[in-house]
Amino acid sequence: VKRSKVSPQPEKKDEDEEEEEEERKESAGALQWKDGLAQKAAEAFLRQQSATPNLRKLVYGTVVQDEKDNEDETELGGLFRVSRPEKSKREHADALDCSRFAPDASHDWDQEEMLASIRDCFVTGTWEGDKD
Amino acid sequence: MANKGLVYDGCNFFRQRLVLSLLSGKRVTIRNIRSKDDNPGLRDFEASFIRLMDKITNGTRIEINQTGTVLSFQPGLLYGGSVEHECNPQRSVGYCLEALLMLAPFMKNSLRAVLKGVTNDQMDPSVDTLKASAIPLMKKFGLDGEGLELKVVKRGMPPGGGGEVLFTCPVRRTIRPVQLTDPGKIKRIRGTAYSVRVSPQMANRIVDSARSILNKFIPDIYIYTDHMKGANAGKSPGFGLSLVAETTNGSFLSAELVSSPQGQGDPALPEDLGRKCATLLLEEIYRYTSVTRWTVSIEDALSKLGCDGGFVDSTNQSLSLLYMTLGQQDVSKALLGPLSPYTIAFLRHVRDFFQIMFKMEAQKHEEESQKGGDKVLMTCVGAGYTNISKTLK
Repeated sequence: VKRSKVSPQPEKKDEDEEEEEEERKESAGALQWKDGLAQKAAEAFLRQQSATPNLRKLVYGTVVQDEKDNEDETELGGLFRVSRPEKSKREHADALDCSRFAPDASHDWDQEEMLASIRDCFVTGTWEGDKD
Repeated sequence: MANKGLVYDGCNFFRQRLVLSLLSGKRVTIRNIRSKDDNPGLRDFEASFIRLMDKITNGTRIEINQTGTVLSFQPGLLYGGSVEHECNPQRSVGYCLEALLMLAPFMKNSLRAVLKGVTNDQMDPSVDTLKASAIPLMKKFGLDGEGLELKVVKRGMPPGGGGEVLFTCPVRRTIRPVQLTDPGKIKRIRGTAYSVRVSPQMANRIVDSARSILNKFIPDIYIYTDHMKGANAGKSPGFGLSLVAETTNGSFLSAELVSSPQGQGDPALPEDLGRKCATLLLEEIYRYTSVTRWTVSIEDALSKLGCDGGFVDSTNQSLSLLYMTLGQQDVSKALLGPLSPYTIAFLRHVRDFFQIMFKMEAQKHEEESQKGGDKVLMTCVGAGYTNISKTLK
């Protein structure tokens, strides 16, 4: 009857001795974290994977390019092809060679919270415990 | 010719490709330069850039086809020495200077370049910003001494130009590996507010409005006002502001803003410009310190085909990465903010030319700390590049 309440280690159910059963129940709480460790680890790993992008892959990975764009070029009388500046494909090949990275203007620096978000970057902000 | 070397398409990342080609000695061919454009081929400023590359080298072979859509570049020896160059006013001196900063330490003779043209424009990093952020960064890599100097002799605003810049840089046999992982905290902000051919009061008005924002964070702010007159003022009127935040560990973050060229765009009020520029600096600080935004920004960056923050600010990411690549065979580390599209392209080019790939780790920021967004830690082993052409004395 007791078993139906808490039975974290079902493989040991067969044992009959009441005393041992009691002991097991006491230690059960402490051992619960061991259940399904592999599965937990797998979940944590997947969570981590989805949260942090693989930067290396993003930077060095092969760029998937649409080769289809070439095919749907319109022909005029079967002789001439209309040559248009390409928009989607190789969009960056002929872009402006400029190292400046335009910051996104989505942050409203009039807001107190925005100002607070970088306060600790300055020597006037709070310092970590181990440094001063 | 049978061997075309590395082949690329399009005119984007033009400077990166030529610079890496010169450093690695690999031939490069760039095809389809604006081939579908109404006005195909190389532009004047690119031609001017090629001419500059020709001036600082010996034995470089350049072939351009009739329409200017194909460029074949066989790099020669980086010679250096004294060079004077008229930069095309379509792009500012910063355009050429960025490439020279990358090449200068690896020349045979130390470089002394006089560049004429537009000193500050809205597209490229201005001379003031490079002076305040790139030069201290170069010192981190062991490029110091009195020979390293960047000076604005005359200021020139677009569209007329007429400015003059002096850049000198010593040569090194090897570049020191670096560990730029802990930027520390920002201890002071410096800046230059300049005005030419307008009322000198403009610069003061810029300074006042920029200070009104930055003073909320730190009291140690000094913004120089630089008003040039007469022959030193160039041919066009304009004003602007360049700000640099310095951290306790010697990292420099920059932001800048320039008034629109005469007769183009909306006329700017100096107050607005000062305020906006201060905000840009805050944005840069946020990026440099920030890590959740990273996820969004890298996708965003790749879609725009860029990211920044960390020890090195967005303007100088590729410069620091190049020096890390060409360092001694030792581990170099640098903390960057979200990478910019330009930097991502640069990393790909470095892989093509030097077969060096960086290890990238996203650094999450701690929730409770008020230190802005996401960063990325870049690690690589230097190529063990030695400047064998350096003259021995």
